[in-house]
Amino acid sequence: MTNSSRTLRTTLVIAIASALLVTACDLKVTNPGPIADEQLSSVTAIPALVNGMSGDLSLALGRYIDRGALGSGELTEAGLFIPEGHYYLGQFVPQDVNADWGNMQTARWTAESGLVRMKAVLGAGFDANVNTPRAYLYGGFANRLLGENVCTSVIDGGPAGSDSVYFTRAESLFTRAFTLATALNNTSIATAALGGRASVRAWLGNWTGAVADALLVPTAYNFNAVFSTNTARENNDLVNQTLTRSETSVFGTVYAANNKEPRATWDTVKTGTAITKGANGTAIFRQTKYKTLAAPVSLTKGTEMLLLRAEAALRAGDVTNAMLLINAERTTFALAPLAATTTAAAWTALQSERGLLLWLEGRRLWDLRRWFAEGTNTFLTGRDKCLPVSADEAASNSNLH
Amino acid sequence: MFSRSRWLAVACFLVYGAAPQAWAQDVSGRARDSVAKAQAAYASTRAPQYLPLETVRSGTVRMPEQLARRVSVKLDAVPLQRVLMEIATQAGLGLSYGEDLVRAAPTVSVDIAGRSAADALASAVAGTRWMVLVTATGQVTVNRADVLMVGVINGRVTDRATSQPIEGVQITVDGTRLGAETSSDGRYTIGGVTAGAQHVTVRRLGYDVQTQIVMVSDGATQTLNFALGRAAVALSQVVVTATGEERTREVGNSLTVVDLSNENAPIANTQELLTGRVPGVTVLGNSGQAGSGGTIRLRGVNSISQGNSPIIYVDGVRMSGAHTPTSVGGRQDVSPLNDIDMTDVDHVEVVKGPAATTLYGTEASGGVIQIFTKHGKKGSAQGILDASTGFNNMGHIGVASDTTGMFVNKCSGVLSIGDGTKFQDATCPASGSWLSNGQISRYSLGVRGSNDSDDYYLSGNLNDEHSVLQTGNNRTAGVRGNISVHATPTLTLSLNSTFVKRDVRWYPDGLSSNAFLLNVSRGPGTFFKGSGCSDPTVVCILNDSIFTINNTTNTNHFITGGTATYTPIPKLSVRMSAGYDYDVADITDITPFGHLRVPLGSIAETQWNRTLITLDLAATLRHSLGRAFESTTSFGGQTFDSRLNQTDLSSSNFSAPGVPTLTSGSLRNIVGQNEQRVINAGYFAQEMIGWRDILFVTGGFRVDGNSAFGTGFGLQTYPKVSASYVISDEKFWPSRFIETLKLRAAVGESGKAPGAFDAVRTWDPVAAENGQSAFEPSQVGNPSLGPERTREVEGGFDASMFNGKMSLSYSYYTTRTNGALVPVTLPPSLGFAARQLENVGILRNNGSEIAVNVDVLKRRSAELSAGVQFTMVRSEAGDVGGQTITVDANSLSFVQQGYAAPSYFGDRVTNPTALADPVVEHNAFLGATFPTSIITPRVTLRLLNRVSFDAIGEFQRGGHLLNSIGFANEGLFTWQPCFDTQAKLRLAAAGNTSALADVTALDRARCSIDSKVKSAGFWVERADFFKLRSLSMTYSLPDRVLGSSNGSSVTLSARNLFKNTPYTGTDPESADQLVSSFARRDYYVFPAPRTFLVSIHTGF
Repeated sequence: MTNSSRTLRTTLVIAIASALLVTACDLKVTNPGPIADEQLSSVTAIPALVNGMSGDLSLALGRYIDRGALGSGELTEAGLFIPEGHYYLGQFVPQDVNADWGNMQTARWTAESGLVRMKAVLGAGFDANVNTPRAYLYGGFANRLLGENVCTSVIDGGPAGSDSVYFTRAESLFTRAFTLATALNNTSIATAALGGRASVRAWLGNWTGAVADALLVPTAYNFNAVFSTNTARENNDLVNQTLTRSETSVFGTVYAANNKEPRATWDTVKTGTAITKGANGTAIFRQTKYKTLAAPVSLTKGTEMLLLRAEAALRAGDVTNAMLLINAERTTFALAPLAATTTAAAWTALQSERGLLLWLEGRRLWDLRRWFAEGTNTFLTGRDKCLPVSADEAASNSNLH
Repeated sequence: MFSRSRWLAVACFLVYGAAPQAWAQDVSGRARDSVAKAQAAYASTRAPQYLPLETVRSGTVRMPEQLARRVSVKLDAVPLQRVLMEIATQAGLGLSYGEDLVRAAPTVSVDIAGRSAADALASAVAGTRWMVLVTATGQVTVNRADVLMVGVINGRVTDRATSQPIEGVQITVDGTRLGAETSSDGRYTIGGVTAGAQHVTVRRLGYDVQTQIVMVSDGATQTLNFALGRAAVALSQVVVTATGEERTREVGNSLTVVDLSNENAPIANTQELLTGRVPGVTVLGNSGQAGSGGTIRLRGVNSISQGNSPIIYVDGVRMSGAHTPTSVGGRQDVSPLNDIDMTDVDHVEVVKGPAATTLYGTEASGGVIQIFTKHGKKGSAQGILDASTGFNNMGHIGVASDTTGMFVNKCSGVLSIGDGTKFQDATCPASGSWLSNGQISRYSLGVRGSNDSDDYYLSGNLNDEHSVLQTGNNRTAGVRGNISVHATPTLTLSLNSTFVKRDVRWYPDGLSSNAFLLNVSRGPGTFFKGSGCSDPTVVCILNDSIFTINNTTNTNHFITGGTATYTPIPKLSVRMSAGYDYDVADITDITPFGHLRVPLGSIAETQWNRTLITLDLAATLRHSLGRAFESTTSFGGQTFDSRLNQTDLSSSNFSAPGVPTLTSGSLRNIVGQNEQRVINAGYFAQEMIGWRDILFVTGGFRVDGNSAFGTGFGLQTYPKVSASYVISDEKFWPSRFIETLKLRAAVGESGKAPGAFDAVRTWDPVAAENGQSAFEPSQVGNPSLGPERTREVEGGFDASMFNGKMSLSYSYYTTRTNGALVPVTLPPSLGFAARQLENVGILRNNGSEIAVNVDVLKRRSAELSAGVQFTMVRSEAGDVGGQTITVDANSLSFVQQGYAAPSYFGDRVTNPTALADPVVEHNAFLGATFPTSIITPRVTLRLLNRVSFDAIGEFQRGGHLLNSIGFANEGLFTWQPCFDTQAKLRLAAAGNTSALADVTALDRARCSIDSKVKSAGFWVERADFFKLRSLSMTYSLPDRVLGSSNGSSVTLSARNLFKNTPYTGTDPESADQLVSSFARRDYYVFPAPRTFLVSIHTGF
C-alpha cells in the first residue's frame, strides 16, 4: 500500500467516524414550561385543574363583555377595531366571533372534560372532593354563557343543535354542584348553583322551578367571576378597553342619559372644556362600574333573583307582585320605587331594570333576544340576534358540513 | 543560500551548438500562450538561469537538445566530478562546479548504457547531497541539494481593456503558501519563491482567473505581468457550497456573488447591500427607525407558518437569523444580519431556492446567504480606515397636496382639520417642524497581514445614526478578529470571531397609543392634550410628551467559528467547523412617572437570548476516472443546537420620579417565559462527475433528524440533482458573439421544521382565582408532524457576449411546497383554541430572474457600464386544508387557495370610478401582499480612472399595502386628501343633492362620514414604487495626497433620494412588525428618510 492510499484510507475512516458521531447526537429536546397532558392526571393536580376551569370562565366572560355590550347597545364603539365595529353595528360575522366562541367553548370543555379526568383520578373519592362541586358549578356557568349568547349548540365537535342544549347541560351541572356542595356544607357554592340553575330553568321555560331556586338565594348574595391584577390573563378586559384604552364609550346608549344611576355609572374626561374623543371621533363616556383590572363580574346574585321572580310574576299576569319584586331590587340600591299598573308598563320597567342591574355582565343580548322573539322588545330589529357558529368551528367541524 | 560568487572558475567548458534556445513546456489550455511568453522572456535574459534538472526531466519545460543525447558511462567508485565530466563530454554540455564539490569529492559509481544525458546526470547525483542545475542552452552546474535556491517574482496587474492597474488582485504561487495582493498601482512582489518553474495564478472577483508559468532562478527577480479581462461570466471563480469549494462552472444552479470591492458608496448593512444587487431577492425596509431590521425574501414565500427568512452563514459557520423580539413601543426589531459590519465584508454569496440549498438541510428552503469577511492580505501589514459622516433628512411626508405633511413638516401656529376643528401644539419646536437632520457617523479601522505560516485581519468599528426626530438613534460598536494558521503543510486552522454591541433607542411608532405619527397626524385627536397654548379657543395639544417615552433595544452579539481544513493529499480535503453564536437582547419600554397619559408610569422589559451551536464536517475527494472523466465525492454531517430563552416582565405605578426598574412599580407582572431547545442533526453525500471539464452532473442527498419532528417521522431525506454544461468550451461552439455560455439545470428539495413543541399535547401553567395555580389548554399536539418539503426545478444559463462586454444570466424556477405546515383550526368545541400545525398545505411559486450587464464604453479615459436585474415572482396557495387562514384579521391578511400567500381580502368598491354611491363586494380579493416583479437598473460611469459615478434604482410592482393611516385619519377628519370629499358629503347629508356630482364611488367610500360605510378594505392600495436607492460619486485620491500606496478615495453618496409611488400613505415599504412579520400593515409607521454621506477610505 502506498503512503497516499494509506493517508486516504485513514482520512476517510476519521471523516466517517466523525460524521457518525455528529449524526448520532441525542435529539431529545428540553421543554421547561408547558405541561404534558398526562401530568394533569394526578390527585395533586386537581386543585389547579379546577382553578383553570374558573380561569377559563373568567377569561371567556371578561373578554366577551366588551363586544357583547357593543352588540346589545350597552356601549358604543369609539375605536377602530374592525370586529368590534361589526359588533356595534349588530353584525355578528363568523370570522369576528372566533375568539369569543373559542373562549366560551374552552371554558365549557375544560370543566366538562376535567370532571371526566377527576372521576378517573379520584375514583370513589370524587363526590366527596371539595373541588368537585366547584368544577360542576363552572361547567354550569360556562354552558349558560354559551346558551345566552350563541345561536347554535355544538358539543365536542359534534353536530349543530338548539341553543337550549347548553341550558339543559347547565341545569344538570348546576344540580350536581348543588347536591355535592350541600353534602359538603359548602353554602356559597350551593347557593351559586341555585342561582345559576334558576336562570337556566327560566330560559328553558320552567319558571316554576326557576322561582323555587330563586327563593333560596338571599338578596345580598353574589357569586362572581374572579379577576385580578396578578397577571394580564386575569385582568378584567373591559376595564382595559374602557379605562386604560378608549375603545368603547357609554355615549350614545340609553345609559348615557343618567350618570347618577348607581348600577350604570360612567364619567367623562375633558381636555380643557372639550370631552375627550376616541379614535373614531366618539366622545368618551367611561364606564365606571368596574374601576380596576381586578374588578369582579357577577355570575349570579340575589338581586337578579328578585327580577327573575318579578318576570315570572309578570308572565303569570301578576303586575303587582312583579312591581313589588322590582322595587325590592331597587331598594337595595336606595332607589325610589317605580310605579306601573299595566302589563306593558311593568314589562318596560322590568326590561329597564334588568338592563341596569346586569349592565356589562354579558347577559343583555340574551334578554333582548328572548324578548324580541316574544315581541316585547324591538332593539334587535335589523340586527343579528346571537353569535353564529364561528368561522373556525364551521370550517373545521365535519359534523356541521 | 545559493550564491554564484562562491563558485570557482569553470573547470571544464565545452560548447556544442550554444545558440540561445527558448524553454518550451507542455502545458495545456489557455495558459499555453502566456507560458510561452514567459519562457521567451526567460531565455532572452543575459545571465544564464538555472533550473533544477528534475524540472526539466518532468517535462514541465522542453529539454535542451544536449540533455536528450544518448550517453554510456561505466565508472566505479570515482569522484562525482569525474562522472559529470564524462557525461558532459559525451553530450556536449557545458559543465561548471564549485570548489566545495572539489573539496568534498564524493565518490559515486555509474553504469549506464544508451540513456539520455539527463538520466545519466540524475543517476550520477542520486544518493548524494548534490543536485544538478541546467540552463536553457544546455549548461550544467552542480550545487548542494540542501542549499535552498530562491528568487523573486514581481509585476503588475492591469485591466486588459483599459490598461489601468487593478487593486486587490490575489496572486498565489500554486502549491505553496506564497502570495501577494496588488496595491492601488497594481503592483505586487513575492519573495522566497523556490527556483524552477512555478505556476502563478491571479484571482479577482469580476475578472478571469489567469495562470502563468514563470521560471524562477536563484537570486534573480523575475517580472511577471498580467493583463486581466473582465469576466462577465467567471466560470473559474471559486464559490463555497455546502460541500466545500467548487468552481462556478461546476455549479448547476444560479448563485449570485456580490463583491463589496466594487461598491464605492458606503453600505450600512446587509439588507442595504442586497437591495437591488441580487435578482430574486425582495428586501422591504419596514420602517425609518434607525437600527430596524428589514424583511428579506429569496424567491418569494415557501412557508405560511415557519417563516421565510434565509439561513445565514458567516465564513462557513452558521449563525442564527432570528430577529430580536419586537419593541412594543418602537414596533420594530433588530436583525442579526445587520450585526455584520459591512466594512469587514469581502463578498456575499446568495443561494436561492431549495434546488441549491438541499445539502444545507431542514430550514434551508428560504435560501442561504453566505457572508465572507476579510482575511489576511499577503504581504506586510496594511491598515484600512473608513470614515463617513452625514445626515438623515426626511423631506415632505404624505401626499404633496397636504402642505403640513400630516402636521409633521409643519406644526406651528393654529392648524385646522377637515371638519374645521382648530388646534395648536404648545410644544411644537421653534423651527416650526418636528423634523430635523439626524447626524450619522461611521468609523472603521482595520489591519490585515500575513506571513509564511499565518494571516490575520483585525478591525473595530463605531457607528452612530440618529433619526430625524428628537429621539431615535442606533449606536453600534464592534470588533472582529480573523486568524488563519497553517499549522502543518496539510492542516490549516482558522478562527473568525466578532462581537457587536448595539444600543437602539426607538421613537414611539406604529400601532401604539404613544406613537409619534399616530398622534401628530391626528391633529386634535392626539392622546396628548393639555394647556399652555397661546390661543385658548382651540384644542391645545402637547405632542412633545411623546419623546419622554424611552423604548430601547440593547444587544450584545458574539459570533465565533473555528474551521480546520485538512488536505493530506491534493485530491482530498476535509473541513471541520464549529460555531458558537450568542445573541442577547434587552428590550425595554419605559413610560416615566409624570407622563401625560400614564401619570404613574410603567416599564416593560423583555430579556431574550438566543444561542446556536453548530458543528459541521465535510470531506471532498477528487479523483480521475480515466479518459475525460473526473469524480468529486463529498460527504459530511452537521448538527446544530438552537436555544431560545425569553422572559417578559412588566411593572407599573411608580411611587416617584427617577429612573425606574422592574421593582419600581407597585404592580409587577411576569408576563411570560419561554425556554426552547431544538436539535437538528443530519448528514449528506454528493457525487459530481465531470466530463472534459465541460459537463458536470451532480447528485446528492441530505438526511435530517430534528427534535421538533413528530415521533412517526424519524429521519427526513432531501434529494438533489443538477447539471452544468459549459457548451461554449466545445470545439463546435462559434464563439464569435457569445464566447461563454453555461447551461444549467437543477432539481432539489429542502424543508422547514415545525416549532419545537408542535408535536406534543401540552397545557400551560397559568394563574387563576386571583393568583392561584391553574392550567389552561395549550397545544393539541400532532405526533405525525414532520417538516414541510419544498421541491424546486430550476433551469437557466449564464452567458458572456461580445468579447466580455455583455453578460446575461437567466433563471426560471418553479417550486412546490408539499405538506406545508398550516396552522389548522380544530373544532374549538373540542377545547383547544390554539391552532395545530399539520402537514396539509400546498404552496406554489414560480418566477424568472434576469441579470444583464453591459460595458457601454470602455476607454482609458472613460468607462460606462449599465445593468439591469429583473425579478418576477408568482406565488399561489394551493390547497391549504380547505380553509382560509387568518394571518392577521386587523391587517385584512389571509391565506386562501388560489391566491398569493398572503393576500388582502375585505370590502371592495366594484364601481370605483363611477359618479355614484359605492357598490361594495364583501370578502373580495384586494391584492397580493408582496411584490410580484422587481426591476433594478444600475449605471456606473468612471472618468480618467479617478472619478466614478454610480446610481442604483429599484422598481417594485404587484405588492399591496393596507394604508391604515388613511383609514383611521379619515374618520377623524385629519386625512387631507379626503377634506374636499368630506365637505361635499356633509353638504349632501344636509340635502344638497348635487354636492356629490363629481365625487367617485371610491372616494365616497374611502372618505365616508358615515361609520356604517367605512371599511379598511377600501384602503388596501397598490404599493408599487420607484426609488433611487443609491447615488454616489467617488474620487480616487492620488497616493501623494495621503501618502498612501494602498488606495484612498472620497465618496459623496445619497440614499433614497427620490421616490415615486401611487401609494397614498407615508411609504409603500412601511409595516408594523409587532402583530405579524408576515402580514403587512402601514399603521402610523414613520417612513425611511433620505441619507446623505461623505466618506473617506484609505489604506496605509
